Amino acid sequence: MMRPPLPQISLPRMPVARLLVAALSAALLLPPSILRADVVAQAIDQHILPGYGALVDTSEQLSESAAQDCDPNSEPLRAAYGAAFDAWVRVSHLRFGPSETDNRAFALAFWPDSRGKTPKALYALIRANDPIVADPDAYSTVSIAARGFYALEFLLFDADMQQTESAAFRCQLTRAIAQDIAATSRAIQEGWIADYADKMRSPQDRYRSEIEVKQELFKAVNTGLEILIDMRLGRPLGSFDKPRPKRAEAYRSGRSLRHVQLSLQALEELTLILAQEDPELQAQLATSFTKVRAQADRLEDPVFAGVTQPGPRLRIEALQQSIRNLRETVGLELGPALGVEAGFNSLDGD
Amino acid sequence: MPSRRGFLAGLLAAGMAPAASWADLGSPAYLSAGKTADGRHLLAGLAEDGEILFTRPLPARGHAATAHPHRPEAVGFARRPGRFADVIDCRTGEQLSRLEPPAGHHFYGHGVFTADGSLLMTTENDYEAGRGIIGVWDARADYRRIGSFASGGTGPHDMLLKADGSGLVVANGGIETHPDSGRAKLNIPTMRPNLSYLDFDGAITEQVELEPELHKNSIRHLAIRADGTVGFAMQWQGDLGADVPIVGLHRPGMSPRLMAEDDPRLRNLNGYGGSIAFTPDGRQVAVTSPRGSVMQVFDCESGEMNGEYGLADVCGLAQSRAGLIASSGTGKVVELVQGQLRPLRSAALRWDNHLIRLN
Repeated sequence: MMRPPLPQISLPRMPVARLLVAALSAALLLPPSILRADVVAQAIDQHILPGYGALVDTSEQLSESAAQDCDPNSEPLRAAYGAAFDAWVRVSHLRFGPSETDNRAFALAFWPDSRGKTPKALYALIRANDPIVADPDAYSTVSIAARGFYALEFLLFDADMQQTESAAFRCQLTRAIAQDIAATSRAIQEGWIADYADKMRSPQDRYRSEIEVKQELFKAVNTGLEILIDMRLGRPLGSFDKPRPKRAEAYRSGRSLRHVQLSLQALEELTLILAQEDPELQAQLATSFTKVRAQADRLEDPVFAGVTQPGPRLRIEALQQSIRNLRETVGLELGPALGVEAGFNSLDGD
Repeated sequence: MPSRRGFLAGLLAAGMAPAASWADLGSPAYLSAGKTADGRHLLAGLAEDGEILFTRPLPARGHAATAHPHRPEAVGFARRPGRFADVIDCRTGEQLSRLEPPAGHHFYGHGVFTADGSLLMTTENDYEAGRGIIGVWDARADYRRIGSFASGGTGPHDMLLKADGSGLVVANGGIETHPDSGRAKLNIPTMRPNLSYLDFDGAITEQVELEPELHKNSIRHLAIRADGTVGFAMQWQGDLGADVPIVGLHRPGMSPRLMAEDDPRLRNLNGYGGSIAFTPDGRQVAVTSPRGSVMQVFDCESGEMNGEYGLADVCGLAQSRAGLIASSGTGKVVELVQGQLRPLRSAALRWDNHLIRLN
């Protein structure tokens, strides 16, 4: 399968130094109570809201691009798709609040798809020439597997699907999915602006204390790292005897490694915000993230094709192990620093 | 089986009131094992509102517990591979007996009394043979071991009385372990969990397996409804990222029914059902997942998910008077009534896996 060249990844540099300076100067100027409040406020204002803002901007651009040219080979459309998908991956660890209302996160990102529900649902729509695609609002009622970025990937990058039935219908379907992505992204952002950010800033009902808010944010980091280990790397790795390259995330568009890189960046950003009350720990975590990101960059294996060969496989496993170690540090050091303890029951398994 | 109140009323009327009963204790409504901040293990009795009424020390980490139907005695089970089950007088804290499994066996952490209180049954591993066992203890004679029979599978975990008290329902989790290998799972590729209905003499009256593609879904925890319907919660041992059901219902004589199979929110459970309970009206069944820090509630009739509720490290779950009560490894006790989650208590304890309703 021909894969389009990906633009060279030019990931914005992490504002580590800026965060450190901010944390240190804040420590000199502010009483401790204000400092503590800063963690949540910064997570919201510097990480969550900008993340969803970028998702809305890029997915609206995606929807416009699809409206202008729905040809799967359209460069502007593919570029817009890549930018919006990037923006999603950067917030994909924030699985609480508005992203969970009405299953919005699943509607944007139904993955992993262990039973192949996405292609099944799409082929069913295509073969039936289902008129639902003409109605953007109604499209939100189709199977969740036929919505979002992973569904759109099939239309833009899967050669078999591109030869099924009429191009005109697939064009309509592409537009419907892109529009739906934009609408779902807006709904999440609106939820944050309407009240969810306030619920986190002034815990009362949904969260009853600042500790609970921090617990939620800590869980986002922890879950994001787990997804990297078990899903984004673990699924294609499979076992040594049975590697599973076709389980790599978004391999059709050549984005598997890129998602690991983007996710590491986003998790680093949130982790360093959460760690700012302990500058020593923050610096330690920043170093660990930098090393792991460099390790990911060195792989140069965009779809983890190397899982089937002993040498390259070892390097992917080594990256997975480094992320495991990082997760352990986060659990043992950052959790207690935030007053969050590792799960008594979740680690038990009985 | 008469209710506790009805039973006591009957005894009183007959002038045969027992020396002591659960009513003397300020009515604990639940039992749970826990761990203190300084690392000690205990068994606690909780009131309806989650208040701790008593705590009794345990020698090591507990798991589940079961209460005698009439006497104020509870048995706290060690977490597997368990080497003890402590019978405790909940009025005085006195340890009445310590049950130790026979040589070559260990406890799995669950057990149940017969409805008349005469026998205690325990799930056990005959680990050299890799065989699931139900141990039988005489609760009328200082918990003397009086026998055992096969559980109907490997790795029996939770066990309850059938709704009419005529036998047992056993969750044979299917996973073989051996104490020499710690808690390592030895047979994942070939595991075959089942739900077994047994008479008290060990005869299997019915056995249920799910379809072969779900053979790695370990049937672990049980709840029972007055009409005999069994709710079971599973723990997925296969590939992470697979979409699998975690909760099912079974009525004896029928095929099992899996809850919310196509709902993507099942993923939020991370493949792990920790505890299961029905609501008092029997219309809904709920499951907790400490790995997902979430509790999900399903409609028994439609099989759809009604809602999910976040709580860090939630695992213990039981029926409350008005709905459901849940506990967490962070010391929280919450109640879910008509879709509203409200906190009841917060203790400086880590509540362990199960919250056991006493009556």
